[in-house]
Amino acid sequence: MKALSLYQDKGTFIHRVDSRSKLLYILAAILIPAVLHGFTVGLVLMALSLFLLVVAKVIRKVIPLVGFSFLILISVVVIQGLFYPGNRHVWFALGGLRFYQEGLVFSAGICVRVLNILCAVSILVLTTRPSDLIESLVRLGLSPHLGYVLSSVLQIIPQMTSTMETITDAQRSRGMETEGSLLVRIKAFLPLIGPVVMNSLVNTRERSLALEVRAFSSRAKKTFLNPPPGGMVNQVLPIVLLLAMVAAVVWRVLQ
Amino acid sequence: MKNSMWSLKLSTSALVLIPAAVGINYIGKLFAGLLKLPLWLDAIGTVLSAMLAGPVVGALCGAINNIIYGLTMDPISFIYALTSIGIGLAVGVMAQKGRINSFTSVIVVGLVAACVATVISTPINIGFWGGQTGNVWGDLVYAAIIAHHFPVWIASLVDEFIVDVPDKIATVIVAYGIFKGLPQKLTILFRHDNQTEQL
Amino acid sequence: MKKIVVEGLKYRYPLTQDLALKGISFEIEQGEFVGIIGQNLSGKSTLCQALMGLVPHFYKGGYGGSVLVDGLNVERSEICELAQKVGLVFQNPFTQVSGSKMTVFEELAFGLENLGVARDQMKPRIESAMALLGISRFSQRNPFDLSGGQMQRMAIASVIAMEPEIIVLDEPTSQLDPQGSEEVFQAIQQLSKNGMTVIMVEHKIEKIARYSDRVMLLHQGAIVDFDTPERIFSRDDLADYGIEAPVFARVCRGLGIRNPASGLYPMTLDDAYDQVVNWHE
Repeated sequence: MKALSLYQDKGTFIHRVDSRSKLLYILAAILIPAVLHGFTVGLVLMALSLFLLVVAKVIRKVIPLVGFSFLILISVVVIQGLFYPGNRHVWFALGGLRFYQEGLVFSAGICVRVLNILCAVSILVLTTRPSDLIESLVRLGLSPHLGYVLSSVLQIIPQMTSTMETITDAQRSRGMETEGSLLVRIKAFLPLIGPVVMNSLVNTRERSLALEVRAFSSRAKKTFLNPPPGGMVNQVLPIVLLLAMVAAVVWRVLQ
Repeated sequence: MKNSMWSLKLSTSALVLIPAAVGINYIGKLFAGLLKLPLWLDAIGTVLSAMLAGPVVGALCGAINNIIYGLTMDPISFIYALTSIGIGLAVGVMAQKGRINSFTSVIVVGLVAACVATVISTPINIGFWGGQTGNVWGDLVYAAIIAHHFPVWIASLVDEFIVDVPDKIATVIVAYGIFKGLPQKLTILFRHDNQTEQL
Repeated sequence: MKKIVVEGLKYRYPLTQDLALKGISFEIEQGEFVGIIGQNLSGKSTLCQALMGLVPHFYKGGYGGSVLVDGLNVERSEICELAQKVGLVFQNPFTQVSGSKMTVFEELAFGLENLGVARDQMKPRIESAMALLGISRFSQRNPFDLSGGQMQRMAIASVIAMEPEIIVLDEPTSQLDPQGSEEVFQAIQQLSKNGMTVIMVEHKIEKIARYSDRVMLLHQGAIVDFDTPERIFSRDDLADYGIEAPVFARVCRGLGIRNPASGLYPMTLDDAYDQVVNWHE
């Protein structure tokens, strides 16, 4: 059963950088453009992220991630271009609709911001194993119990999805209608969702007992099977990123 | 010793409930898509976990739901974790205070959840998307409102609200239906007031 | 050396009126293999969980009497302390998988990480547990990609890695196919040979008769008898308690063949063979 993950194993340098640095990078990618206004900063950071994604050989996988937001961004451009409150100057007209400069500029700013964050997060998501990410978070101080919860969600979801497919097929073969009017579809919802839900909840008791047997509630300081990520880069990079953020804030304050 | 509903010390059962609840969120979303219902139905698990185990678990479930969704599908979900947390907290508090006990109260809770979701999501929508929600119908309403020169925040609020009300009410109804159908042996695991008696 | 001392153990689950355990007392020595038999609802699972502290700490409810495990009083100890003395294996192999680890090797490390075991000690413990249970070759596989029998052996290995001296198994093969069951029984027998104290609840009477040093017969929350397999299965009132004797004992009972030395029916195939041969001579 494949666990839920977007991780692409390409073995590049970026893959070896630890999660802490990547998380700081995302923070920097959000903070720095927010602090230093203007298009250019956002564009530069986005270009940097895209460059890193190319180095990590995962650039093609960014497309589906961006795809989720793509339609919304188009609608933002259209709606803001037409109706942005600060609209004064018409830039062009299309079939009777007037698109204004202020609105289009505003929506361009939104697009840059969204894409910038998406690219930065993609670096984390596409080049880090979820289990490594979670372990890093626990090392940084996240409760091991929550780390467990995060890890088990990744495995439980594919299981529930495949159970759902089995049940849907079974119910359909018993003559359940899943297409048709809204009422028909609403009526189909509970019998489909019921068995899967009950199954997952009933198991919680046995699961909890089994976890207790493995000393889950122990308050001893948790140890790790895997050694911590080491290396020069992982020591230096977080400091560089933190300094960059501080520098941006200082620059802004001095303006 | 009774644990208050705000206790951060979670029992093993509560921790095991969270992945199941996140799974239920996913399933709800999948089925809604499969059946082409005009609702998201992606918070059934969060609401159910809040009913079973209180606001802290509900909030955690909401947060983890968005974090995992962000890591594995759509990174934008990360930001909306705040909304999921709000829903979990709101429903959890009402459940623990015994306010969820009849069909009317379920509708009320759904409405409250919709309001909470709207209040939290709107600033996020404005800051991030300029006020839109990504839902086709809602955004059309948004466009209409700002076309008539109303302030952005009103347009955004209404956009979010009309999308959330049917969705959250339906979500709470389904979650309550499941909750009522669970055996007592299971629901008792998550209560905060259990003690060992001496025989 | 007395490993487990139980005195007057009573327990009532929450939301129920009746006692699941009605005042049980017994002692178990180190290294013994104890089989527990009884009808459904006779209290077998409750007793297993009481040895581990799950009863009462997990369920709450009503508790009386005392259970001493290797010197630790269960009521006054925490489950995680007891987890280092006692391991418990349940029926369903699937729900015993932690779900948070991607390989069998890491799965076995789960309990060790929780206990705070030092990293350099983890690897040897895990490797010896895997070898003992015959699952070393699955080391890098995803835990959910195993068969039922393999998953159950992994569950046992996960518990063994925590190095308890007592292991309790609650119907470990009920949900397994014959091959899986056989694999698990072989593994348990090996553990017992290595000196572990084993307590096993099973419906497969032949296995109980073959492996146990002593057998405990429970009925409606009380101990009916706690004795060697020969004495227990030679009882005439087993049917009252919903138990059938092992097939060899039944055959010999039917033929009237007893072991002349003890006056009891043979339990195993070999014993029965000997007695039938003697009978004919």
